[in-house]
Amino acid sequence: MEKRDFHIIAETGIHARPATLLVQAASKFGSDVNLEYNGKSVNLKSIMGVMSLGVGQNADVTITAEGDDEKDALDAIADTMKKEGLAE
Amino acid sequence: MAKNYDNLAKSIIQDVGSKDNVNSVVHCATRLRFKLKDEKKANDDALKDTDGVVTVVKAGGQYQVVIGNEVADVYDAVLKEGGFPGGGQVPDDDVADDNSSFIDKAVALISGIFTDILAPLSAGGIIKGLVVLAAAMGWLSKTSGAYQILYAVGDSIFYFLPIFLGVTTARRFHMNQFIGLAIGAVLTYPTMVGLASSKTVLGTLFQGTPFASEIHTTFFGIPVVTMNYTSTVLPVIFAVWFGSVIEHWAKKWIPTVVQMFLVPALTIIITLPVAFIVIGPVMTWVGDAIGAVMAGIYNFSPIVAGVVVGALWQVLVIFGVHWGLVAVSTTNIAALGYDPILALTCMVCYAQIGVVLAIIKQTKDKKLKDTAIGAFFSGLFGVTEPAIYGVTLPRKTPFVLSCIGGAVSGAIMGIFHSVLYMMPSMGFFAIPAYINPKGGSMIPVIGVIVSAVVAFIVGFILQLIFGKKSVDAEYNKKQAQKVAEAANEATEVANNPIVAASENEEKLNPSTKLVSPLNGDVKPLSEIKDEVFSSGAMGQGVAIEPNEGVLHAPADGKIALVFPTGHAVGINTTDGAEVLMHIGMDTVNLQGKGFKTLVQKGQEVKAGDPLVEFNIKDIKAAGYEVTTPVVVTNSKKYESVNQVANGAVKVGQEILSLQGEDEGAKVSGQVQIN
Repeated sequence: MEKRDFHIIAETGIHARPATLLVQAASKFGSDVNLEYNGKSVNLKSIMGVMSLGVGQNADVTITAEGDDEKDALDAIADTMKKEGLAE
Repeated sequence: MAKNYDNLAKSIIQDVGSKDNVNSVVHCATRLRFKLKDEKKANDDALKDTDGVVTVVKAGGQYQVVIGNEVADVYDAVLKEGGFPGGGQVPDDDVADDNSSFIDKAVALISGIFTDILAPLSAGGIIKGLVVLAAAMGWLSKTSGAYQILYAVGDSIFYFLPIFLGVTTARRFHMNQFIGLAIGAVLTYPTMVGLASSKTVLGTLFQGTPFASEIHTTFFGIPVVTMNYTSTVLPVIFAVWFGSVIEHWAKKWIPTVVQMFLVPALTIIITLPVAFIVIGPVMTWVGDAIGAVMAGIYNFSPIVAGVVVGALWQVLVIFGVHWGLVAVSTTNIAALGYDPILALTCMVCYAQIGVVLAIIKQTKDKKLKDTAIGAFFSGLFGVTEPAIYGVTLPRKTPFVLSCIGGAVSGAIMGIFHSVLYMMPSMGFFAIPAYINPKGGSMIPVIGVIVSAVVAFIVGFILQLIFGKKSVDAEYNKKQAQKVAEAANEATEVANNPIVAASENEEKLNPSTKLVSPLNGDVKPLSEIKDEVFSSGAMGQGVAIEPNEGVLHAPADGKIALVFPTGHAVGINTTDGAEVLMHIGMDTVNLQGKGFKTLVQKGQEVKAGDPLVEFNIKDIKAAGYEVTTPVVVTNSKKYESVNQVANGAVKVGQEILSLQGEDEGAKVSGQVQIN
């Protein structure tokens, strides 16, 4: 299992658009990908799940991936986070 | 229209591994579907990065390049570039079959053309049947306005069949549908219909031969053998096909600025005269020849004639050349006072509906069952088009079985020497036409009833014994395609077959409906400016332009999310749909200003409960749009998500219909996926 922490810097947090982009990034991979925030974990392939956490600015989230392509999945997600200016 | 896709075609062919790697290529509404010799030779990433290519999907042995709406033009360019033979357009759910014979293709073409109009066709058939029944029972006078109006209601789709088929055929040959419609309309134009029965005879072609045909009019000196094109099938298919050739040719050289009116003008002005000059005589002569041959056989043996005519009747109807027998019959009744030839055919329809009843009993396919039930009732009254084109012909074997039943029906008529004393009505309404007005034996009339009953039983039993396979095979194929399609849809979002497969194992949600959460105007999601929503990446749905600042629940369910700023609310409905409502565009930037949430995450709500209040004026004043997308974020779990309202809506009015899938589909589908 791969695991990575992100610190959300985007002023508006993970709202609809970034959530969709993250879900799209995660859905490209076979691995199970989850997002943890505030002690809650959701499937990163579900838009509703991700948005339901209401992740805001300065939040610390952890993303885990488990499966054959877990490393690639996390790389792609980190890439999206960076490209969208969501996290560092 | 005239945009040049040659370069795109070139790079697509290169990236699928050069043209030598291509076995065949067809296209559907949005995709080029290649069959490649070796999919490994294709460069997926290069293709995905190509401008003009949405993505690449591998499924069902096909390498699919998703293009979008311009696919037909790109396809033509690809054919030109690669020198591939044109497989043409396949319906979206068709897995192309390379080995299909000409007959298979013809059957697929004809039944494909009918698919979209089956519902109104069945409806028309049943209404027409009931109206005729009401008249036969004396409940409605044939001269009453009610009869005439209701008859027109039932009959119009049959009378103007070429117009309906003009549209669906045009779609099939990817030409402008409304040009197809125009072609069908010209064929059934009242003046043209009138010409066919005109008393003015300008001359006779081939006088003294069996092909002697009266000329009622000319086209700049060219004799035109007119015929009545109403209710016909083949002429319009031919005319529209020819029209599509003209249209595609015209598009190539007519400058874009004047294409809009010149292409259709040129298309119809060339197509229709040619159609009238060529189709009329060909159909007339074939019909004449068939009439003459059948009459000859009857003189040799009524029973043999019954077998031949009964077996072929429905085939003749499909080709529209059955009227040759009608003509012989009219002549016979005028000259002899009775007609034995057309008399053989009137109960053939009961073989057809016997087969249809067996299919209703056999099939697990809900859609087919629905179609078949409609076709059965329509056929009961002698209107067999829905049964033929919607049920038996596409599956071939049942149609052949119905022809065998028809042969039995015809033979029985021959044995009983049942003859017509006037032109018959349809189905069992034809029976009175067999009664000799001068009195005499009733045995031939009883023969007609025997013929109908036996035909029905023979059709039913034959289908039960020999036809089950074809129904099952079709069903399995359809399920396999559905699964493949579902996989494709999932793949399109996921871009990865592994995910697609695992997503696919999850059960689809049952069908359900969503009501409007707002008072306002509904428009397609695609009209939203924000691409994340308009592209459907988030899921399918609609957009609403609210005129009142209160968001309500679109269904019973549980609040799954209330974004801290109050601009987005998600609900997991009791039926399993996940619905996200996002008030305005970029309104997250307002940080909650102008929004007041009335519910909390986890709260149970009923459809119509208020969820969020928002101030339209303030939001607009801050420079943001209030257009609100309502999307089903788990759209993948539905076979389709359809917008069912447009324009002004009130809270609680139905706006989206979510279609689930038949139960059991997954199990049989997965086994059959390849």
